[in-house]
Amino acid sequence: MELLDRYLNAVRFWLPPAQQDDIIAELGDDIRTQIEEREATLGRTLDDDDVAVILKQRGHPMLMATRYLPQQSLIGPVLYPVYVMVLRIVLLWVMVPVFVLIVGPIVIATAANPTVGAIQTVWNLAMADVFSLGVITLVFAILERRPLKELANWDPRKLPTVTLMKALPDVRQPIPRATAIAELIFGIICTGVCLQAAWYLGGFNLDVVHIVLAPVWRLVYPLVLLYCVAGIPLGWVGLVWPARIRLRSVIRLAINAIGLIVIGVLAQAGILLTLTSSELSTASLADATHWTSLGVHIFLGAAAIVTFMDMAQEIRRCLTVRW
Amino acid sequence: MAQLRVERYGYTLRKSLADAGLEVDEGTLYPLLRRLENQGLLVSEWREENKRNKRFYRLSPDGEAILGQLLDEWQGINSSISKIVQGE
Repeated sequence: MELLDRYLNAVRFWLPPAQQDDIIAELGDDIRTQIEEREATLGRTLDDDDVAVILKQRGHPMLMATRYLPQQSLIGPVLYPVYVMVLRIVLLWVMVPVFVLIVGPIVIATAANPTVGAIQTVWNLAMADVFSLGVITLVFAILERRPLKELANWDPRKLPTVTLMKALPDVRQPIPRATAIAELIFGIICTGVCLQAAWYLGGFNLDVVHIVLAPVWRLVYPLVLLYCVAGIPLGWVGLVWPARIRLRSVIRLAINAIGLIVIGVLAQAGILLTLTSSELSTASLADATHWTSLGVHIFLGAAAIVTFMDMAQEIRRCLTVRW
Repeated sequence: MAQLRVERYGYTLRKSLADAGLEVDEGTLYPLLRRLENQGLLVSEWREENKRNKRFYRLSPDGEAILGQLLDEWQGINSSISKIVQGE
């Protein structure tokens, strides 16, 4: 019975301590009974190979133990698509441009060897992505355990009218719930990041370089914070009143307007940051400043194009939606 | 649940279900028995039989009531499906 004891011990490892003895005693008795019955049928004692066949039929110890455990998931099927969407936006559409256009040029231009700088940038991007992944997962795990009241106390009379839904193709569709939840969570995360960024307005270190942000950043900071905070009511409106398309469009237009003001002020300012370092030559610092400024301006240009496109879509939506 | 109107332990329950044509994997049966017990539909007791401790299960009074409801529901569904199939 040594094989059986080893199997039971392996199953025990995966069980909650409070239930281990009880489950193992019952499972052990069940398998022993099966072994005895098999021995009676064959008319001989089972050897290790025979017992191994029986245990293999029972399944891997971990799988056997998980059948006794309650089904658990960190993020359930309702929030999972939104979770993936937020991850894609943050990791792919925020982190990559920031590192490629802003952080990368600084690190590469100030590194002794550009290849080492590039590797360091990729490594920093990977670390930032891992950190973001952890924070986003934590936020969603908390949300998963605190279901929204609206989902429990919903009112059928507040659902979008059929005539509205049928009559509205394309841009006039009610806001998908996943989009609304993504905007809400994205707004919360951006607000948190923006509040934390206030500590770095005076300047911060990146490797051997000290980066001093131009005074214009202090000027636009309240607007950037407002831009982030506004994402929360935007998501909330989409979630609670998915058919109020025009209200949502007006909020989005307001947010985009704030974004354009920020982009315009920053673009006008010229020098957005200065780099200092006691370890680098003036030429290296000038190079780094040049590439970083270029990266920031490309980033601002791309952001402006995206904002204009979004504004055009929202204006079209406002004009075509029926009251 | 109907099989547990009479007290049984896991192995004999599985055998009796198999004899009735319902093969249930032990990895499914035992966790299910525990869930039913946690819901108060079964009661269990460890007792010695054939010089070995075994856990015997039987239906609780609440389990009897729920079983009655489930059987009524099943008969209703069965009757509806029969009508639908015969109608085709």
